[in-house]
Amino acid sequence: MMDFEELYNQYSPQIFRVCMGYINDPEQAKDLTQETFISVWRNMSTFRNESKISTWIFRIATNNCLRAIEKNKRITKVELPIHLPDVPEETQEEKLTFLYNCIAELEEIDRIIISLMLEDLPQAEIASIVGLNHGNIRTKVYRIKEKLAIKFREHGQFE
Amino acid sequence: MNDLKALWLTAKTDSLPDSHQMVQLIKKFRNKKLLKIGALVLAAILLTATMIWVMFVYKSIMLTTRIGEVCMLIAGIILITTNLNSLLRFYKLKECSNKEFIQFLEQTRVRQQFYYQKTQVVAMIFCATGLLVYLYEGVYQNTLLCIIAYSATIIYLAIIWFVVRPRTFKKDGRKIAEQIAKLESIAKQIDQ
Repeated sequence: MMDFEELYNQYSPQIFRVCMGYINDPEQAKDLTQETFISVWRNMSTFRNESKISTWIFRIATNNCLRAIEKNKRITKVELPIHLPDVPEETQEEKLTFLYNCIAELEEIDRIIISLMLEDLPQAEIASIVGLNHGNIRTKVYRIKEKLAIKFREHGQFE
Repeated sequence: MNDLKALWLTAKTDSLPDSHQMVQLIKKFRNKKLLKIGALVLAAILLTATMIWVMFVYKSIMLTTRIGEVCMLIAGIILITTNLNSLLRFYKLKECSNKEFIQFLEQTRVRQQFYYQKTQVVAMIFCATGLLVYLYEGVYQNTLLCIIAYSATIIYLAIIWFVVRPRTFKKDGRKIAEQIAKLESIAKQIDQ
């Protein structure tokens, strides 16, 4: 069993990015990350290795994200402009904001799945976090990729 | 996809507290939370204990007083147990997937609706009946006092029942219904 600080150092950046993908607001993503680790701390003694520790932590984090709708946390949705001017050199930060905005337009579960995919989690693990079977997750991943590709194509980004 | 993954990893995470700060933060949070729950439980126990104590110290001569005390005690117990139960549900929740968690939240909201529509009504009926019959022994010998005490109590209960409760219920009820609808839509996304 790893100790808390080790877990925190290893997983907090990943959890922050996943929360950011879901909520699209750095402050709220930070709060959600902290809430996740408060739950991790509280439940560490009851963790029984029935699943991988990463699955356990990502489940806590994504459930926390889903609960955010109950706390009336707003999901930042920025309307994407129809025609973006052709900017030859976009900064990394602008590209990342564009990615977050595209994800923000997806439905809740899709936002969770794509964020976990971008964290490079295997599909089987994503399926067990969300509560889907393997076949379903494959279809969902395919659909999400399509949706994102359409959004990028529409806005002439990342061809 | 690999380009996106590379881009995804560029997100700045340095605003997060370091592990030592996080441990401090958790300890502070835990103490605050424990204090809050402790205060709540203590207040509930003190109130109930006071009511029981009054029952033994004040030797009532009329049965109505005893009935009133028991009714109010029952109302208190109903409120304490249901609130404590709903609090414990979250603590008892084991590790679960998003799908199971959404089901749990839906259940919680349905229980909350039940609480507003049924449990709270029953508790309020017990409390109001208790208060009305409890008062009788103290005022029955003085007609004026009797009229004043009963008018004031009935006006108070009417305000709670016809103004305060519908208003909070309307506000919270709408919020709960919206949350249930939202949770249902998320559950559908998983099942699609």
